[in-house]
Amino acid sequence: MKSRFFLMPAYALVISAPAQATVYLSVEQAQAVMFPGATFSPDFLTLTPEQMRAVEKASDVNVLTPQLKAWKVSGGGWFIVDQVVGKHEFIPFALAIDAQGAVKAVEILEYRETYGDQVRNASWRAQFSGKTKDAPLKLGGDIESISGATLSSRHITDGVKRLLATHALVLAHQD
Amino acid sequence: MPHVSFDRSRGLLAVLALSFSSLSYQSIAKAEESHFGYVYTTDLLPQGAKEVEQWATWRHQKADGYFDQIDGRTEFEYGLTDKLQVAFYANYAWSRAYHNGPFGETTPPEPLSYDKPGPEDHYNAVRFVGFSAEAIYRLWSPYSDPLGVAVYVEPTIGPAFRELEAKLILQKNFLDDRLVTALNLTYAPEWRYDTVEDDPKRKAWGYETDVNANIAASYRFAPNWSAGFELINEHEYNSYTFSKESNDGYFFGPVIHYGGKKFFVTATFLEQLPWASEHSDTVPGAIVDRRIYDNDFEKYRLRIKVGCYF
Repeated sequence: MKSRFFLMPAYALVISAPAQATVYLSVEQAQAVMFPGATFSPDFLTLTPEQMRAVEKASDVNVLTPQLKAWKVSGGGWFIVDQVVGKHEFIPFALAIDAQGAVKAVEILEYRETYGDQVRNASWRAQFSGKTKDAPLKLGGDIESISGATLSSRHITDGVKRLLATHALVLAHQD
Repeated sequence: MPHVSFDRSRGLLAVLALSFSSLSYQSIAKAEESHFGYVYTTDLLPQGAKEVEQWATWRHQKADGYFDQIDGRTEFEYGLTDKLQVAFYANYAWSRAYHNGPFGETTPPEPLSYDKPGPEDHYNAVRFVGFSAEAIYRLWSPYSDPLGVAVYVEPTIGPAFRELEAKLILQKNFLDDRLVTALNLTYAPEWRYDTVEDDPKRKAWGYETDVNANIAASYRFAPNWSAGFELINEHEYNSYTFSKESNDGYFFGPVIHYGGKKFFVTATFLEQLPWASEHSDTVPGAIVDRRIYDNDFEKYRLRIKVGCYF
């Protein structure tokens, strides 16, 4: 599973057709839903190569980019916006981590794929609540797979696992 | 010089119009992706999803003279379950040929081999080939199992053509599913109602078996876009049991794919590699410069597929 997104510069060479994106939540809306009444202090980071390797080793999931969009939450906890690979495009999502380092909530911000939007179902996302960096977070194990949305559900699961490892190895030391 | 026209008027235009008519539905339909022009993957429609696909395959140039063939295919796919996809489609072809066969004889393409132009004729025909049904069942998913595995079966029935194609489809993804690789193994006996070789006044069902081993790889280098290659190895036998081989050919070329929320487009260009070899049933003169030009082998192929979702 470990790899880098090769040919990143090729993005600049290709002009994609306009995506039929469905935006469910803006960043501000997700913050309000996941941490009602809280205030947020941006703490955007660029992970070092050593930190990226450590995250990959801890999570067994690739780090797609060194850029980390994280906000420190008043009252404790972190709000992180990230994205995972979808069938055609990236799937932006938000992760709320409580002051104890456990998942508070997961929200899908946009979904641009033809199929697989069952990852937005509240009952499926609720499986992540309370998970920590020590949880298996394995699709078909402690996280139920979604038939017909296997790719999206696996990548969201991997994304949460990666961000929990990033929190434990990097963000937790920012407190 | 005599000309033979089998419904020649507007044949090319008619097939092209049929082949690309579904493009007009793009604005109202949705879409899924077929990464490759020739190689199948284990990605199927989810339960209840519907899709229309339009294929156009241009086959160009035989041993000599001129040869062009456009195979059209209009297909409707449906996800019966998340693991079982069925499809129904119509196949039709247009072709023109002149002095294209062994020793310079005008020879029609394989799907229209029941036409018998004279060796000096200019051949031009548009024909309906047959209706096909297709079912693909996925045993393992590449996203949750070590390997994607699916089985495929496709019967075709036409006025002078029958085929039963069976395929094993393997898929393995890498680099967070952005690099897709696939292998297809195909066994396809086919029957044609044609004149008997020793008695041209009599017709009978003859048969041959196509056996193919195809591989492909494609990398998603940008959102919605992927590109890669396909390597096609086709064998033909005048038996069901891998004996009496007549032809084998290798084709290689690039594939590019755009997959969006509402439609996909895939295009593959193939050139036959000079790797053909002579076998027990190879027709004399069919191999030129180590490329085979018998039956449905030609020098270049271009396949374009468009898919739209409902």
